[in-house]
Amino acid sequence: MATRLWLYAGAALLLLLTSAALFAPLVSPYNPLQQNLEQDLITHSAQHLLGTDKLGRDMLSRIIFGARISLLVGASTVALSLLIGVGVGSLSGYVGGIADLLFMRLIDILMAFPGILLAIAFSAVLGPGLDHVILALALIGWTGYARLVRGEILSLRERDFISAARALGCRPQRIIVLHLLPNLLPPLLIQATFGLAAAIVAEGSLSFLGLGVSPPTPSWGSMLNEGRQFLLVAPHLTTYPGIALMLTVFALNLVGDALQDRLGNRSR
Amino acid sequence: MKRYLLYRLALLLPTLFGVLTLVFLFIHLTPGDPVDIMLGETASAADRQELRQILGLNQPLAQQYRSFLINFLRGDLGRSLYEGRTVAAMVTERYPATLELALCAMSAALLISFPLAIWSAVRRGRWTDRATLMFSLLGLSMPNFWLGPLVMIIFSIQLGWLPVSGRGGADHLVLPALTLGLGMTALLIRILRTNLLRVMGEDYVQTARAKGLSERSVWLKHTLRNALLSLVTIASLQFGSLLAGSLITETIFSWPGIGRLTMQAIEMRDYPLVQGCVLMISLSYVFLNFITDLIYKWVDPRITYGN
Amino acid sequence: MPRSLYFFSIGLVFTVSLAACRPTHSDQPSGYLVAAIESYPLQLDPRYATDANGVRIGNLIYNSLLRADSQSRLRPELAESLRLLDDRTYAVDLRQDVKFQNGQVLTAADVKFTYESILDPNNRSPKRGNLKPLRAIDQTGPYQLRFHLSAPHSPFIEQLTLGIVPANSRSNLAVPTQAPPGSGPFMLEAADPGEQITLRRNPHYWEQQPPLAGVIFRIIPDALVRVLEFKKGNIDLMQNDIEPDMVPWLEKNTGADVGAYPGTTFQYIGINLTHPILKNVQVRRALAYAIDRESLVTHLLKGIGTVAGGVLSPLNWAYEENVEHWPYDPERAKQLLDEAGFPDPDGDGPLPRFRLSFKTTNIDLRRRVAEAIKEQLQKVGIELDVRSYEWAAFYSDIKKGSFHLYSLAWVGILDPDILFQIFHSSSFPPAGDNRGHYSNPELDRLLEQGRATNNQQERKQIYARAQKLLARDLPYVPLWWWKNVIVKKPIVQNFTPYPDGEMISLKQTRWAANGQ
Repeated sequence: MATRLWLYAGAALLLLLTSAALFAPLVSPYNPLQQNLEQDLITHSAQHLLGTDKLGRDMLSRIIFGARISLLVGASTVALSLLIGVGVGSLSGYVGGIADLLFMRLIDILMAFPGILLAIAFSAVLGPGLDHVILALALIGWTGYARLVRGEILSLRERDFISAARALGCRPQRIIVLHLLPNLLPPLLIQATFGLAAAIVAEGSLSFLGLGVSPPTPSWGSMLNEGRQFLLVAPHLTTYPGIALMLTVFALNLVGDALQDRLGNRSR
Repeated sequence: MKRYLLYRLALLLPTLFGVLTLVFLFIHLTPGDPVDIMLGETASAADRQELRQILGLNQPLAQQYRSFLINFLRGDLGRSLYEGRTVAAMVTERYPATLELALCAMSAALLISFPLAIWSAVRRGRWTDRATLMFSLLGLSMPNFWLGPLVMIIFSIQLGWLPVSGRGGADHLVLPALTLGLGMTALLIRILRTNLLRVMGEDYVQTARAKGLSERSVWLKHTLRNALLSLVTIASLQFGSLLAGSLITETIFSWPGIGRLTMQAIEMRDYPLVQGCVLMISLSYVFLNFITDLIYKWVDPRITYGN
Repeated sequence: MPRSLYFFSIGLVFTVSLAACRPTHSDQPSGYLVAAIESYPLQLDPRYATDANGVRIGNLIYNSLLRADSQSRLRPELAESLRLLDDRTYAVDLRQDVKFQNGQVLTAADVKFTYESILDPNNRSPKRGNLKPLRAIDQTGPYQLRFHLSAPHSPFIEQLTLGIVPANSRSNLAVPTQAPPGSGPFMLEAADPGEQITLRRNPHYWEQQPPLAGVIFRIIPDALVRVLEFKKGNIDLMQNDIEPDMVPWLEKNTGADVGAYPGTTFQYIGINLTHPILKNVQVRRALAYAIDRESLVTHLLKGIGTVAGGVLSPLNWAYEENVEHWPYDPERAKQLLDEAGFPDPDGDGPLPRFRLSFKTTNIDLRRRVAEAIKEQLQKVGIELDVRSYEWAAFYSDIKKGSFHLYSLAWVGILDPDILFQIFHSSSFPPAGDNRGHYSNPELDRLLEQGRATNNQQERKQIYARAQKLLARDLPYVPLWWWKNVIVKKPIVQNFTPYPDGEMISLKQTRWAANGQ
């Protein structure tokens, strides 16, 4: 019962964040890019509930629009990582042999290489831009999913129902799509919720290295980075985007945990 | 055991080769030219060409890659383009600082996460469990570049308990190790808790309980043993992200380690130095996981290898 | 479980004991001044140092024939006299009372060696290009030498500010050694890579002994952390690289002595003149009218800058004040753009007249400035695409000429001949740094004349005309000259700020009487 309550709370929070992101132009009080250099670093006022940043832009509007960017980065990164990860993982797990050996080495290599450096390299090669940030994050993020899928498939393929399907002459693609993937869904879903949170935070780290989304586009990560130097004089520049980020991670994890409690153990 | 060791060693070779290749490609394909940065504004085109030749940068990439591999096998990592010292010397000089920080962060993460996870699992669903999870979420949602200055301001400026930055005695380690380790702590708590819950529900534990073993010995003999094993594996797998995290943490905490050196080398496009640093980071990770695997195998010989 | 726990505890004990063995910072020798700098110097040897910290610290260890003073005027240091024998030969008499830090006397042979060592291609010195006009150096006596140039080249005098090392010092890149000894007020005591550089007072120093026992340069990469360390009392002095809004905070919360002093570092917007829109001078003038530099300096720089009217700073001897200025006037900008044939398709609506990309480095403040400029240009109908890059990638793009607009700064400019390298039509990359491909035969002639003339008054007139031309043609839009911000504890006295950010006045800096 309690579990369900937490799930609902998390889901409601996520819904709220997503709708804020979707309807950002309707709900945000100002244009998030509108500057006013004379009205900088206001803590809060009747006009600006959460104050303004160094360029006099409304913080509330930037956080609402930032939800858009951050959730987009998170979701796209996870989707792309899943695509690559599930592809490689199921190929590796189902086909086995040389393909498996090669893919697993590739993953070993990528995991040994500091992810942030790969992201630096990708961003430098591709140039700045939102889509490039997503691509860079996905290219370092897929290995976890691939390992997960491979492991699950290895344990599933020995099960009776798969052997039966194989004995009946089902084609491998069919077996993967019809029999294996549905069983893979719960663990993947759980991992994806955590991955989404991680990707949003990782975009922040890229911002710190100067490789995040291009200015003046607001993302929570870039806002945290822009506000960092003002921690002593205007802490609200980092506190609010920080809270937004924490709430999102919190909501995602509530949902992830609840899913895990409900689905995670059942699938075994 | 000996066969297993050989098998693992054989698997290490392609990984090593791949890491070498990736390290080489990573820095050489990244835009930016060390010759431009080295010679500054006044050099002539001829000077540039000449320096490029001396450094071997005018050769085709495949050729450079070959000499990089050959030199590596000879144990020669080259010299820094700017400082002229051997990369090996510069990297070994900085490595202890990073190792100190990373090991401390990892130990802190293990020390904090282990009891918290057990507590959380035992009192599943109660407010202590929730509080622990909340704490771990804090760790997952605070990027190091924000967390670092925040703890400096609180613990060093306002409370005055600890030094701000730099390397020194044990007190200098606390803040950077906490900053670096918090993410890992959070992750370990979550994974460990899930594992504990899973093991507690499994047949053999239930059987042991049914056999009338005391709750205490069920915990010690079965549950914890299992949890600890998985903890070591996860911790060593996560060691990679810890080392990667040191790139940012060391910059913020003015920590004279290899992470800071890597960032500076990348900024300057000091090819040999970048290669040396990244190799050192990657190889420590590979090595640690190799050792963990062996320990794991030793502790739990049931584990099979290959498929 | 016990076995794995055992390993784990071994690891822990090992780590903690490792840390406990290290000395703490508290055993710093007293009387040493601690200054914070951003990055570890790559080279101290003056034949190789090109990074700002390497040069600045190096200038405390090494002397040069001439040295710029706190007003940016070249003054003799090791040179007792400097005479022009004909239009291309300089005769130098050295002081005879100068010793290196190892006790050896500094003679003309050392000077000759230093210059020749740079000219030797085997030594791979990045400064070789600067010495191109130098044909030969002759030693005419133990303390006398002559520099022979291949043609009259007045800016060569700037090359006499090069630090002198003892003869037969080994070249750093071929054989790595510690930095060779110098003859300056301080000597290298210790170098802890990535951590700090410690200098000690040079007991053999030929001028007055420095009052400070030594200087410790602590490497603190993050600007906020430098402020925190200062607040904590661990830093005595820091210069520049500070968030402007932190300055009032420091004054209020730390009792620091904070000052902003005129500097020569020149911030500008570089323009690609091969671009079909930007090659139109009306467009460039519109850009200059549309940027409200006054507001940027007031709000974003908090006054740590002076709005620039031209390219050379007012501290430069060749500065010409009487050039065309482009005050903020968005209406005039719109009018110019209309006249140039780029009408706004929908008046004040969202559609721009045209789009340009604006490249900048990813330093926080630079990026913020770029965002504000984007907003200002939007008001006259120009859409800017701000793209921020990590330094090396940015620099390589700019060098290649792959940009529409970019922002960068000139640092440490002494001689107006810099204009040749930047705006002469023979300086198109890769030969020089005319990255925007500006070409004006009249300016070319002036710049050639300027470097071939030895009389400073005549040169001043020539460069005045050059500056007027540049202000009209606007191959650069000038933004501002940065001020140097000095933050120090009140007990640090006699530290004179230099316009180019040099820290040479540390040699006369002392503690207040009641201080340490």
